[in-house]
Amino acid sequence: MNETLHQRAQRLLAESLVEGIAAPDQSWLAQHLRECADCARDASATQDALQALRSVPVSVPRDLVARTQMRVRLRAQEAGESSRTNFLLWIITAASWLLGVFSAPLIWRGFAWFGGEFGVPRLALEMGFVLWWGIPALLAVGAVLYQRAVAQNFAGSRLQRAVKSPR
Amino acid sequence: MSAQAFTLMAAKSPLLFAGLMTDDKQTIALGLRRRDPDLLDQLIEQYQQRLYRYLLFLTGNPALAEDFFQETWVRILERGDQYNAKAKFESWLFAIARNLVIDASRRKKFSSLEALADPETQQPFEPPDLHATSALQMLLTRENQQAVQVSLLKIPVYYREVLLLRFHEELGLEEIAAVLAAPISTVKSRLYRGLAALKSALSEGAA
Repeated sequence: MNETLHQRAQRLLAESLVEGIAAPDQSWLAQHLRECADCARDASATQDALQALRSVPVSVPRDLVARTQMRVRLRAQEAGESSRTNFLLWIITAASWLLGVFSAPLIWRGFAWFGGEFGVPRLALEMGFVLWWGIPALLAVGAVLYQRAVAQNFAGSRLQRAVKSPR
Repeated sequence: MSAQAFTLMAAKSPLLFAGLMTDDKQTIALGLRRRDPDLLDQLIEQYQQRLYRYLLFLTGNPALAEDFFQETWVRILERGDQYNAKAKFESWLFAIARNLVIDASRRKKFSSLEALADPETQQPFEPPDLHATSALQMLLTRENQQAVQVSLLKIPVYYREVLLLRFHEELGLEEIAAVLAAPISTVKSRLYRGLAALKSALSEGAA
């Protein structure tokens, strides 16, 4: 046997494990392994190495699954609550916008009357009117921020309890 | 190994490994889109061993593996709608777990994934399950397994990872490439080098 044959055997051996080899190559390799003790030993060492890799004992820590399931459920619950709150906020925002649009002529008349009675300059009236329109949006932003802070605090305390549960 | 054993092994090539049925993947995809908590419970239960083992191989650290295990499932919940049921669920699961580990290593400015492991404080793997064996067998098995574990940790993490995915999880080359987000040629080259490294590490460990 010359070195080239052994090299071919080594290459085919690795290829058979990684990407597979054609039937003629398989036959040739099997024949070579029957005849060459060194290559057969190498093939055996490869198999032993893979067997060792497969036999590494790994046991999942106790309670890890239960803790993970609890954490995932809490997160799912939070996500559900958050999407419901967001939906409600959208409805409230839309309603307030519609109300604002339809009540704008009346409000403007009120502003005009107020300006006429107390001699307020027109620019101040217009700025006040814009501010009046912006109030619902500002309130909505405030509500969202408050809701987010409360949700985070709540989730944080629940998660801490979940994570600190005895392992 | 005998030539006959080799022929048998070749016939049982992992390339022939069949994945989940399409229906199963569709069911999983639908459930994930709905964020179905019962399905998630079932998946966590079903994939606990495989995901934990993968994370342990990747990080070499049980505490980190536990953290990433939990984070992975939270991420699965949050990004469940991105699973398109074309790939095997486990490939997607491993890819998400891997990305989490890489993100964490980048945030902590580790130079490589290997740096996630703390060689002084960690016990690389869980103690083996040694019930129903004699005291001597227990000792020998423990020593042998510890030697294997120590040897495995000597292999660079990129090789250890593909070896696990290929020869333990029996994923195909394309599936491994999807997990790694790398070309198949890279996967092959890592597998060849990994096999050589594994043999070398084990023979050094045995010496």
